[in-house]
Formats: sequence, C-alpha cells, structure tokens
Amino acid sequence: MKRTAAILLVVLGAVLGTTGPAAADGAHVGGDLHVAQSLGDRDLTVIIRRVAQVPGPVHVDVVTHAGSPAGEVTLTARAAGAPTSSAKVVLGATPGFYAGVVHVDRAGPWELSVDEASIPFVIPARVSSPWENATYGGFIAAGVLLFLALLAAVLGRPGLALVPTTGVVVAMAVAATAALLSPVIPPVAPPGAHLDPTFDNVMNPYERTPVMDFSRPPVNLVPRVDGHDLVLDLTDGSSGRPVDDLLLHDNAFVHLVVVSPTGGLRHLHPVRTAPGEYRVRLKDPERGTHAVAAEIARRGGGVQLLRSSVDVTGNAAVGAHDDVAELVTEVREAGRPTTITAKFGERDLQPWLGMLGHMIVVGPVTDGPVSAPIWAHVHSMIPPRPGVPDQPDESVAAYGPDVPFTYSFPLPGRYLVWIQVERDYQVRTVPAVVDVPAPAGGETK
Amino acid sequence: MRRTALGALTGVIALVAVLLVLWPRGVEAQPQTAESTRYRFVLTPSSTKSGSTTLDLMITDLAGNAARGDVTVEPAMPRMGHALAPITAAPVEPGHYRVGDVGLFMAGQWEITVSLSAERVVIPLLLT
Ligand SMILES: [Cu+2]
Repeated sequence: MKRTAAILLVVLGAVLGTTGPAAADGAHVGGDLHVAQSLGDRDLTVIIRRVAQVPGPVHVDVVTHAGSPAGEVTLTARAAGAPTSSAKVVLGATPGFYAGVVHVDRAGPWELSVDEASIPFVIPARVSSPWENATYGGFIAAGVLLFLALLAAVLGRPGLALVPTTGVVVAMAVAATAALLSPVIPPVAPPGAHLDPTFDNVMNPYERTPVMDFSRPPVNLVPRVDGHDLVLDLTDGSSGRPVDDLLLHDNAFVHLVVVSPTGGLRHLHPVRTAPGEYRVRLKDPERGTHAVAAEIARRGGGVQLLRSSVDVTGNAAVGAHDDVAELVTEVREAGRPTTITAKFGERDLQPWLGMLGHMIVVGPVTDGPVSAPIWAHVHSMIPPRPGVPDQPDESVAAYGPDVPFTYSFPLPGRYLVWIQVERDYQVRTVPAVVDVPAPAGGETK
Repeated sequence: MRRTALGALTGVIALVAVLLVLWPRGVEAQPQTAESTRYRFVLTPSSTKSGSTTLDLMITDLAGNAARGDVTVEPAMPRMGHALAPITAAPVEPGHYRVGDVGLFMAGQWEITVSLSAERVVIPLLLT
C-alpha cells in the first residue's frame, strides 16, 4: 500500500514537473527608462533601470554631460506623495555615469525626484495573464485528478475512477485550449500608457475597461521668464486644468527648442516642478523675442507640437559654440524628399535621446523664426535590434560617422536647420541654411 | 479490438484536424495595387517581415501598356515620423521595376510612395 502511494506520487510529480516551465514568457515587466533632464546648470540623463523585483532596489544612473558642474544631487523615491527612500549621488567633474540606488516596496505609480525635478514612472507588476493561469491551472488540476483516478483504481474501485478521469480530460482540454490561443491574444498596453496608473490597475493590467478611445484634448503652452529660468505652464485645451499626464517620448517629457533672434538654437528638456509646470535654465540669453516650441505626448496617445514665443531681457552676445561637420545635401523642390547627410568623420557617436541624430528645421524664415510657418524635428534612427528590449545607453560610443536625414520641406524658401549628435558626452550642434526651390509646375504636392 | 482501432482512428483524425487548423502559415506577400490618373502600380514585396526587402513593381498605363520613365520609391514609417532617402528603381524590362535591399528595419505600418514622372501613389505595407 505504501509502495503504491509512493509510485503514484512519483507519477504525479512527473506530470506536474513537465507542466511547470512550459511557455513561461511571463507578463512583460518594462525596460530601462531614459529621461533627459535640463536641471539647473546641468544637462543630465537619468536612467531608471528595470526593476527586477519588489520590494527591492531601483538602480538609477545619472549621466552628466560636458560642462556639467560637479556636485551632489539627491534622489528620492515617492509613492502617492510619501517619500520612501532617498540617496545622494556625488557627481564628478568628468562627464559620465554616476550611480545611485533607491528602494521601493511595491509595484505601481512612483515618482523619482532628482533635487527639485520629479519624474513620474510606473513599476509594472509581474502578473500572469488569465490564459497563462488557465494553462497552468488546467495542467495542475489534470495532474491531481490523474492521481485520484489512479488511487481509485489501485484501491479496486474502477467505477469511482471514472469521475476523476473525466475531470482529467476536461482539465487537459482547458489547458491545451488556453495554451494554443495565448499567442493570438493581443498583449495589454503597458500600465500608465492609456489610463492613469494606480496601484490597482498596475496590479491587475488585464482588467477590461469599456473605453476604446483613450485620446485626450490638446494642450495650451504659456511660457514665462522667472529669474534665469524659463517656466512652461501646460493647461488642458478643454478644461483649463494643469496637464500632468505627459508620457516619456524620445526619452523626455518635454522636448523644448528655443531659437534666439539671431538664430541660435537650444534644445532643452525642462524638469517637472509641479503639476503642469516645467522649468528650465536659460543660460546667458540674448535680448529679444525667442521662438519656443515644445514637443509633448499626453497619456492616451499622440505627440503634439506647441509653439509660442517669449520676450527675454538678456544681454549676452550671440552664442557661438556651434560645431561643424561636412554636409552632403540633395535638395529637392518643396513637397519632395530632401536628403541631408552629416559626416562626422569618426565612428564614435553616442545615442542621444535614443537616436543617432536629430535635425531641427525652422522656416521659411522671412521675418524671424517666431513667424516661420514650418517647425520640424527629424530623426536619424538607430535600427532596433530584434530581441533586445533595452535601447543602447550613452556609454555605447560606436555609431555614425554618417548621419542621414530625409525630410520633405513643405514650402519653398529659406530654412534654418540644426543637426545635433552626441560625442564625448557633449551635444554637438551643426547649423545650416537650406534653400528649397518651388516645384517646377508651380503647384505643390 | 475494433473499438480500439476506431478509437485510435478518431484520435488520429482529431490530431490531423488540430494540426490543420493551428499549423503556422507563412504570410505570403500579396501584390498591392494603386492607380493614379494615368498609371496602375502593382507592388509586390519579397516578404512581409521587417528587414532588408526587395520591392517588385509592375507599372502600366490604364490600358495595360508598359510604362516608361524614371521610377522613385520613398519608404516612410508614419508612426515613427521617419522617412528613408528616396531610391531610384532599376528597370528590369518595360513596365517592370525592382529595388533591392530596401532597409525596412522595423515591424509595423510602412507607406511606400512610388512616383513616375508627376504621378504619385502611396501604397501601405504592413510588416510583422
Ligand atoms: Cu529633445
């Protein structure tokens, strides 16, 4: 009797053992977050590494760039406004990576503050999908029922064994159906992409909502100067309430481009200092009206470009720390794709904002950038590597040397163009002027 | 004995049916057609997987005669806001053009703009 039970246990163990690791791809648990932050006099990239487990550590890399003063920043993790853990990171004078570790105790919406900047982020929960549960549950139930059936048979009650045997068939059918259908069920959106993240919906991402269209209204941008800082107030275009649902896109919450009256470009990433309020230092500004454009993405989908202008009372001379590169251009008429390739000589470019290069286009300029009808941000992409979810960070200096762009200038005329890449932890800006001819037939498109 | 054989047969039939339904099928690249005022463009990609692709183009006028002239292909990925540099398609024979080694590096929705003289069409191409 004892031996029979032992054999049955071995059989059961074998059945359960084979079902365990099958198709264990698990719910996706996010990747590294790269957040560009123009914080005071420093241009930082804050990398929040993928969180392996909760409770547990969050590894944060603060990447400094050329010209960032040495010093100290404080990292604080907050859940629902309450600080849980903080760490000091001492930044050296050489640009590069400076690591800090904060601790979190649960999955859900979090905020990482770096001094006065606060970065909302979501720690996804490792939740298995309903079909995974059905698969594993079905196999486990089949194993248990098989054991019962064998037990009944061994005890000489074959009639009684019929009931668990039927159960085995049913459980196996459920498990097999779930396993076979799971690859064709679309994955859920990452928490926080469509709906405001809460501790509940992060823990239960599979809960169905009746909502199909997640898009939100457009945003109003009001820039103002406060001391040495430019402050952006973002309000909802329908309700007037502060907009505090910006998503990371291209490694920043706000991509702010400021063009001075003489055509000098700044590409900055304001830090969130309050709901709907973003702040950035304007170092040594010129006097006059600056053209301002902010690229943002609201929760629910879609990137929008907000244009404005602001009067600055600076007294700096024209900022002349521009870089040079050989430009190979093939300019086509308005409405047709023009290609511009910047040649940087050596294959040592670093990804900046997840891209090989950026090209800002403002024009046609007749009386200054403020009134230019076209404002564009063109990318030169780093091709994705299949199977590698995390993008390369700035420590990989192996891209280039040629940085190609393709852009169809919509109108004929003179455009101001700036090409930006990163090398030696410094953003290099190459300005150029492009004259776009009118289409031959006189008719655009 | 016969019952066992019948049972086995049923099992085999069920298994074959399941395999028939669930066997992974290769997605055959289908030709896509678009017409402009003067021409009919038929685009056939060598595959619907992302990566390096060859695009095959049959271009005729609306009466079915082979078209002549320089053909340009402009691939773009609207979701990424990304356009590739335009490529000139090489003629294989009258009305038949081909562009090899087009780096459609990402899965997702692409738009292939094909132009011949002043005629332009945009052909959507979904890559997996
Ligand atoms: Cu940016």
